[in-house]
Amino acid sequence: MGLRRFSILLICSLIFSAPLFAAEMDPDGILRFSLGGEVSVLNPILSTDTASSAVEGAIFTGLVKVNEKLEMVPDLAERWEVSKDGKIWTFYLRKNVKWHDGIIFTAEDVKFTFDSILNPKVNSVRRSDYIIDGKPIQFKVLNKYTVQAILPKPFAPFLIHAGMNIIPKHLLEGKDINTAEFNRKPVGTGPFIFKEWQSGDHVSVVRNQNYYFGKPLLAAINYKIIPDENSQLVALEAGEIDDSGIPPKDYTRMKSVKGIKVFEFDALVYTYLGFNLANPKFADKRVRQALAYATDKNQLVSLIFRGLASPAYAPSAPISWAYSDNVPKYPYNLEKAKKLLKEAKAENLEFTILVNQGNKDREKAAVILQQQYKKVGVKVNVRVMEWSALLKIINAPKDPKDFEAVIIGWSLGLDPDAYSIWHSSQYPKGFNFIKYKNPEVDKLLELGRTTMGKSARKKVYARLWKLIAEDQPYIFLWYPKAVEGVSERVGGLSKPGPAGLFLNIEKVFVRK
Amino acid sequence: MRKNRLAILGFAALCCFILVAIIAPLIAPYNPDEIVESQTLPPSWSHLFGTDDLGRDIFSRSLYGARISLTVGLVAVTIAVLIGTLFGAISGYYGGLIDSIIMRFVDVMLAFPSIFLILAIQVMLTPNIYNVMIVIGLTSWMGVARLVRGEFLRIRELQYVEAAKAIGCSNFRIIFRHILPNAQAPIIVAATLGMAGAILTESALSFLGLGVQPPMASWGNMLMDSQAYMRDAPWMAIIPGILILITVLSLYFVGEGLREKLNVRG
Amino acid sequence: MRKYLFRRLLQLIPLLIGVSLISFFVMHLAPGDPTALFIDPNVRPEELARVRANWGLDQPVYIQYFVWLKNAVLLDFGRSYTTGQPVISEVAERLPLTLLLMIPSFILTLLITIPVGVISAVRKNSWFDNGFTLFSFAGMAIPTFWLGLMLMLLFSVKLHWFPAVGNIILPLITMTIGSLAGLTRYQRAAMLEILNQDFIRTARAKGLPERIVIFKHALRNALIPIVTILGLSLPDLFGGAFIIETIFAWPGMGRLGVQSIFQRNYPMIMGIVMFSALLIIIGNLLADIGYALVDPRIRYEKK
Repeated sequence: MGLRRFSILLICSLIFSAPLFAAEMDPDGILRFSLGGEVSVLNPILSTDTASSAVEGAIFTGLVKVNEKLEMVPDLAERWEVSKDGKIWTFYLRKNVKWHDGIIFTAEDVKFTFDSILNPKVNSVRRSDYIIDGKPIQFKVLNKYTVQAILPKPFAPFLIHAGMNIIPKHLLEGKDINTAEFNRKPVGTGPFIFKEWQSGDHVSVVRNQNYYFGKPLLAAINYKIIPDENSQLVALEAGEIDDSGIPPKDYTRMKSVKGIKVFEFDALVYTYLGFNLANPKFADKRVRQALAYATDKNQLVSLIFRGLASPAYAPSAPISWAYSDNVPKYPYNLEKAKKLLKEAKAENLEFTILVNQGNKDREKAAVILQQQYKKVGVKVNVRVMEWSALLKIINAPKDPKDFEAVIIGWSLGLDPDAYSIWHSSQYPKGFNFIKYKNPEVDKLLELGRTTMGKSARKKVYARLWKLIAEDQPYIFLWYPKAVEGVSERVGGLSKPGPAGLFLNIEKVFVRK
Repeated sequence: MRKNRLAILGFAALCCFILVAIIAPLIAPYNPDEIVESQTLPPSWSHLFGTDDLGRDIFSRSLYGARISLTVGLVAVTIAVLIGTLFGAISGYYGGLIDSIIMRFVDVMLAFPSIFLILAIQVMLTPNIYNVMIVIGLTSWMGVARLVRGEFLRIRELQYVEAAKAIGCSNFRIIFRHILPNAQAPIIVAATLGMAGAILTESALSFLGLGVQPPMASWGNMLMDSQAYMRDAPWMAIIPGILILITVLSLYFVGEGLREKLNVRG
Repeated sequence: MRKYLFRRLLQLIPLLIGVSLISFFVMHLAPGDPTALFIDPNVRPEELARVRANWGLDQPVYIQYFVWLKNAVLLDFGRSYTTGQPVISEVAERLPLTLLLMIPSFILTLLITIPVGVISAVRKNSWFDNGFTLFSFAGMAIPTFWLGLMLMLLFSVKLHWFPAVGNIILPLITMTIGSLAGLTRYQRAAMLEILNQDFIRTARAKGLPERIVIFKHALRNALIPIVTILGLSLPDLFGGAFIIETIFAWPGMGRLGVQSIFQRNYPMIMGIVMFSALLIIIGNLLADIGYALVDPRIRYEKK
């Protein structure tokens, strides 16, 4: 090749790769997150708030973890087997994994973690995840790197609960886990090591050079506590943090802001209007169906979310593998609504909707529904209550419970098992707080959780959702989309999905 | 002179607000709870104060909010004055052990960081307009009690009271017919200023979500929703605050004016 | 005087016990439940019941109170429900941030109140005086939280001078304006009283130039109310701190208090209430001493 051509090629490639050089990864990069609330404890078996879990995600790891497709993949466990009868799970652990203080991670730590959760003196609310039909799961150490979980009966959702982050036995054995100093100075097996925690202000972690999936590309992560959503957004725009949720009203504006990339993705959540079926007002299916016809879900979605949500029709979420929208949908139809109300002799229906304070979306929905139902002659009173007061009412172990209707949401786990929400035995103690009872649904729920094998389960759940939607014990309102804004200097993000953008935090980096 | 003019101004403003609050259903252009627009609009001729985040007319909500704030203020201060006068009168009149006990109780109540106490109580109960009034009343009577006690201590030494006793009037009669009417002045001033304080407290509570609950409109809870919209719809935050400011200010002017006129010491 | 002080200090203990009794019973007898702070609705109610038992909430209230009291006397205020850490260390960790707001606010207030109050009194009914009177009234009538919002709107959102969160200036200004207003009036009234007193009249009668009368005689006495101002400000500074810290997300003790209330974090609430009550009582004591210093007639409590 002639010298001239070569030089031109060289110059061209330099020019075109210049942006790449400019966008070079910063080896000492620090990622700045914002937390929407205060971190309570940095101990995965105790914490229940999202702020604590966000930080724990960087410090701790579990036997299995979730991938972009929402499948469970190996983490601390290299592989696992399930016995033929579905009752014994054997996990073969990764070797030579070290805790942040240098001690080797073994099967003892795994057994210790789960035994601690099962210990009634420990304030872990996850305990019932490991108790099946009243019997706790037994954990056995076979050898240094093999641990077994012995279940009282086959239980498909177990794999997900096996993903609990593991805590170190050598640091917590014999101590009162509820109050241990460890909860302020955690030690884990994850990609980042705890550095400091200034109460109410921030938490920071630094790179774990010996992380088993490879040295993290970030030198450190700083979690700043900014409780107000709007302040978070302001901070993102000002370049003070790298990531923030975006309320629907700011979506259009943020899309055109330079330097910030906006992601929207589905979440495993649905919001609904639940009726107390023990109340004679709602005993007749036709009343509930009438109200469903009177609900203009599109107006809800457009007024509250400006389109960043979709109407819901089934007790599952579209991105769940078990979702099916082959269900009765009750499209907006005032005439049908009025007709059904007349048939059920409920033309002068009046009821109160409870809503929890602090969730603006639900408060707005209550007010909008009040207006919508007015059009069919139904009078709605809206009562906003504080969250714990609301929970107390719907969780009260009495029959009937003291509410008529409530707008609330379910955050779905990775497993579609909905036994605790819909099974008739889960009332009055359990999540079936509306007293729903349908024997065929009960059977299907049992079947769903004892069947192993995705395609078989999928069929069961499709039938299940259809039956439930037919009964309309809830009016399913919407599936919100999660909207997140991330600074363009951040790279290595995972595909947008309910598992979040920072799924593999060790692969995330920031540019200079 | 200045003071007098301000007091009259305040009085006029107050009367205006009270009148408007009473006839609110007649003059409100829209139903305060109804969603009339599909977006948040700035003030215009069709919506004097604009619309809020749900599309409701802010002017109409403000009118109804006036009802709430003024009612809460009035009822709360009435409760406070009743309780305070009762305690203060008994304490001041009987003196001795009863006085000590009541005054100790007053001291304990005064030692509370009052906002904290109110917040705590409201969080425990299910906040609504009724318990807001009661709770504010129950936590602001102490000043009145001390005041009334002071007046009683002063007046009971006066000759005509001694005369009344000599004649054989019952204690009850003496308290209510002789002393209390003369102690009116400071009580009225305290009530006026107390109402201002009650309105401020209610708006702070509603702002935090622990006062009047939506969808009922109170100036305080209208401000609660406005924080998220400060950039896009600042009028949501500005207007209710100004209304509170004017109301409270008017009450202060009237109170101070009364204080001058009735010759009451701070 | 010393006897008075001693008696007042003795009263501290029954006062604090009274405060603790009322707070404790109000909290525990009211509906609502700290386990609801495990805000994840996927948690089963039986788990919440178990945790509640672990915290001793199943015992009768009066027993719980005595346990609390017994520990409190030894300065053990228990552990926070949310973090499991000792209440004392959490309060100690957050207190400096609140002080960071309160102390500069107080100093600023003093620096402004005294000269303004004095000048207002000296130039009574002048434009300055009337102007400031109007300002103080307005300052007292403004809802604190709204003032904070407006400042945030102007300086953070519109002008971008300060970030909305984390910066100290806006919360400081909000806090100062709030306390400034009322105290300026107080200072003015105190100064007016002094100016009316005999010894001033004497000084004037003696023919001393006005400037000397004011600076040498009046002013010295006008500074005495500082003690009272300190005492009076404390409860208000605290009350203001709760709200201001919440609006500006300032991680001080006030915000911790508000959060603890929402979370029904009983041990934390008790700790903060007791601490605030202590400061308020001391504040009142200082204020009363201040009064006594200024007005010898009220020196001793009449029986």
